[in-house]
Amino acid sequence: MLRIFSFIKESLFPAPPPVFNQEELGEAFRKRYTHFRSLLTANNNALQAMADLEKIYYGGDSYRMAVIRSKITTILVNVYKMVRSLLAMSSGRYGELEKIFDTINSNLEYIIEKKPELPQGPLILGLSELSLKDATLAGDKMACLGELTRLPGIMVPPGFVLTATATRKFLTAEHLAEINRRLQVLDPDDLDALYKGCHGIQSMILALPLPADLEELLLVHYNRLEKVAFPGCRVSMRSSALGEDSATVSFAGLYRSVLNVDRTNIVAAYKEVIAGKYGARAIAYRRQRGYRHEDIEMCVGCMVMVDALVSGVVYSIDPGQEDNGLLRINATAGIAKGVVDGSQAADLFLISREKPYPVVYNEIRQVVIKQGPAQTAGPSLTYNQLRKLAETALLLEEQFGEPQDIEWSFDHQGVLYILQSRPLTGGHPAVETSKKPEITVADSREQPIIFGGVCASNGIASGEVFRVDSPEAMRRFPKGGILLLAHPLPEWAPLLNRAAAVIAEGGTEAGHLATVSREFGIPALFGLPDALKLLEDGQTITLHATGRAVFAGRREDLLRQKNVKKDIMAGSPVQRILTEALQWITPLNLNDPASPRFKSSWCETLHDITRFCHEKSVTEMFSFGQTHRFDQSAAKRLVGDVPLEWWVIDLADGFRDGAGVGVKTIRIEDIVSIPMLAIWQGISAYPWQGPPRVSARGFGSIIFQSTMRPELDPSVPSALTTKNYFLISKNFCNLSVRLGYHYAMIEAYLSDLLTESYVTFRFKGGAADQQRKAVRARLLADILLQYDFRIELRSDSLLARVKKRSVEFLEQRLQVLGYLTLHARQLDMVMEQPGVVDQYREKFLREIEEMLGKTAPTCGEDDNGKEKENTVS
Amino acid sequence: MAKKKKILLVDDEVDFRETMGKLFSRREVDFSLAESCMDALEQIEHDDFDVVVMDVSMPGLDGLKCMAEMKKVHPHLEVIILTGHASPHAGVAGIRKGAFDYCLKPIDFEELLEKIMLARKSLAE
Repeated sequence: MLRIFSFIKESLFPAPPPVFNQEELGEAFRKRYTHFRSLLTANNNALQAMADLEKIYYGGDSYRMAVIRSKITTILVNVYKMVRSLLAMSSGRYGELEKIFDTINSNLEYIIEKKPELPQGPLILGLSELSLKDATLAGDKMACLGELTRLPGIMVPPGFVLTATATRKFLTAEHLAEINRRLQVLDPDDLDALYKGCHGIQSMILALPLPADLEELLLVHYNRLEKVAFPGCRVSMRSSALGEDSATVSFAGLYRSVLNVDRTNIVAAYKEVIAGKYGARAIAYRRQRGYRHEDIEMCVGCMVMVDALVSGVVYSIDPGQEDNGLLRINATAGIAKGVVDGSQAADLFLISREKPYPVVYNEIRQVVIKQGPAQTAGPSLTYNQLRKLAETALLLEEQFGEPQDIEWSFDHQGVLYILQSRPLTGGHPAVETSKKPEITVADSREQPIIFGGVCASNGIASGEVFRVDSPEAMRRFPKGGILLLAHPLPEWAPLLNRAAAVIAEGGTEAGHLATVSREFGIPALFGLPDALKLLEDGQTITLHATGRAVFAGRREDLLRQKNVKKDIMAGSPVQRILTEALQWITPLNLNDPASPRFKSSWCETLHDITRFCHEKSVTEMFSFGQTHRFDQSAAKRLVGDVPLEWWVIDLADGFRDGAGVGVKTIRIEDIVSIPMLAIWQGISAYPWQGPPRVSARGFGSIIFQSTMRPELDPSVPSALTTKNYFLISKNFCNLSVRLGYHYAMIEAYLSDLLTESYVTFRFKGGAADQQRKAVRARLLADILLQYDFRIELRSDSLLARVKKRSVEFLEQRLQVLGYLTLHARQLDMVMEQPGVVDQYREKFLREIEEMLGKTAPTCGEDDNGKEKENTVS
Repeated sequence: MAKKKKILLVDDEVDFRETMGKLFSRREVDFSLAESCMDALEQIEHDDFDVVVMDVSMPGLDGLKCMAEMKKVHPHLEVIILTGHASPHAGVAGIRKGAFDYCLKPIDFEELLEKIMLARKSLAE
């Protein structure tokens, strides 16, 4: 019973917070503020990195693992900072956030650090021992050739492969760590540095000794080849890489082959091929196609050199054309190198895939080749040779189940040797179609009606414009409409499953709404300052977000471009990693702070944590005034030509040097707090007209309220009802106003760092009944909406915020708040009278415009301060 | 006005130290260079630093332990850690152990300068 009583007592009369003297108050403020600012900065950094990551993922251009690692690290570090700051601000409340963060952190680390599996096996395998299943040990190229040795009628030069196990014996984990360290510090855009760095790595590899047992085994196998071929035979040493597992990625011609190798230089040639993995072009190609260096492992094939009369390449299907039923053969005298690397002109033959394989077309570009003592001149290949090539190519295609790209040689005895057979990649469709659908004005039939802004989410869409600026408009938003906003605030996010696209005057690609737009795959173009003026409700438009343009009407020509992009990274290991990692990063489950699910325990992703921390930090910060009462002797009364009674407490650097020392008063000229001065401009712009004329009914109600709530009775002396307090520093101001029956609080921090800057306004109460108080709060909300404030209104309780804008912009908003704080006094009493609301709205707006016109451009003009990069001066 | 404090850059790579030295000089930042943790600890004893910029992956020493040593003696030092290997683990572990922030190699010098400014701002508060 006693407990129930004490509970009721505490609920009705909560214990007053402890009283602080000025020094303690300043210290408590500074501490909380430092955490808050650090949280806001971290929030900005984390969201920017998330936006970058999504842009990379959905952008269709190539990206590197190093960038992914770096972005994810940035996100993790900053989200962790947010968690830590929030815990410090809230005295450890929300402690479970740290556990949730740790879980996500470990999951991401696992995804990022996961290495490809490395099977172990013999150091060297003979070619005839190999089959396709050995690709993870011998590389695709040699495993294929091994498979071919089993096919009747197919000749492959005798040889062996130094497996991945051998490579790992030669290049140990320590060597690889050093190589990776060097690669990571290379700036990929600095080609000079790339070539220099690659040269350094390759020199390092060439200088490493081959382990003695490996060298011995290599020579043993060479000896065996000599026995099969002839003593002193020459061999070719060729790359055979592991992990090139995507059909759209060719890796063609990137690695080293060393030809005409003998016993004396076989070890050096082996190292050279291994080092070829780190050639500049190979590195650049892997980066472009989404392969990490550890995804590729180099094995080395060693085969007896064919004494080639004529060599070349055959494609079992002529690529680049619709299926024309032809094979394509290129041939050149001697070895095939010139054909493969494109350095040498070669004869071209197009041959039917049907028996008897007639030549449909040829181009003879070669010097004539002698095909034997009897023949003096002719094309590089005889009809019989062409037929043999066609039959072999079709056999290999059947064997491997897909069109093949085959390297071959005829020796002087007329024997056809296959040197390599791999799937035909058919050019690089991803590369060819990955051109950005940039639109130039010349391309389009009509000029865009708006051009510019920031592409927050790629894509093209068409629909009818629908402006949303209130919860009411939100409810009416039609499916498939183009969402038009002044500011892309997170509260509009629920509309994205209905919207075809989003256009906003403010915002950047890093905001929540931008992130969610990308998540939904909805095109979004932000940062178009005149969008609200230029676009009308109901107007049909086509948005080309990627091209940063808005066109009138429905533009089928542009809409057709929608799906032209192919993903250059498709199927690559790096893309797989990013796909997995993003699941833990960007989805946003915590959309609505009013929802019962807006709790730390519902945070599932890093985005959820940032959203939660941000929301709660604002709550914690703005409860500062409520949880920290101050010792009033610290306050100095503002004197001079000053209406009403105002008191000022200096937290830090809010007074001119030396002012206020040893006295109980301060003059406005001695105040240097930028936000306070702005508020003061608003307060002092127009004299207060005194209380409005109240009807007898209205007055009766006030008397009634006063009797019920003695704390509201102005005749009862109390510090809070009679004094208005400014807590200030150079860049900060918190003004609590208890003017008569209403309570208002303005708080602002103005900084060159946009992430830190904000203005908040709370307004509640009044002496009249609930309905009239609510009407007044609505009137204030309407006016503040016109000055870019974000509004939360519940009955007579108003919360208005604006943040991340330039100092000048926020100073103007503070003037508006100063003006309203004074002039809205006792207005609730007349709010039931017909026409009064409109009359006051008109008067307030006129005077505010006039006031702002005196000092700066009026509202609605761009302040050029939209979430630009932070700078520290 | 208090005497302006210096930045200490700790890195074992001589080229990197030289480059950073030039960049700091060009921007008129007062700095000193250290090649190892021991060197850094010694310099901290004899000179007045407020921010340490340190590679945490130097051979022979755990950079985070070194940071802990520094902070033990001078709790008000802010440390910005550098790493050539963007590892979420190293980044978060550094912040957990009291680093102010971290930067990746290759360094974006403007970004580093901004972080140094922020570290100083945080110290001033």
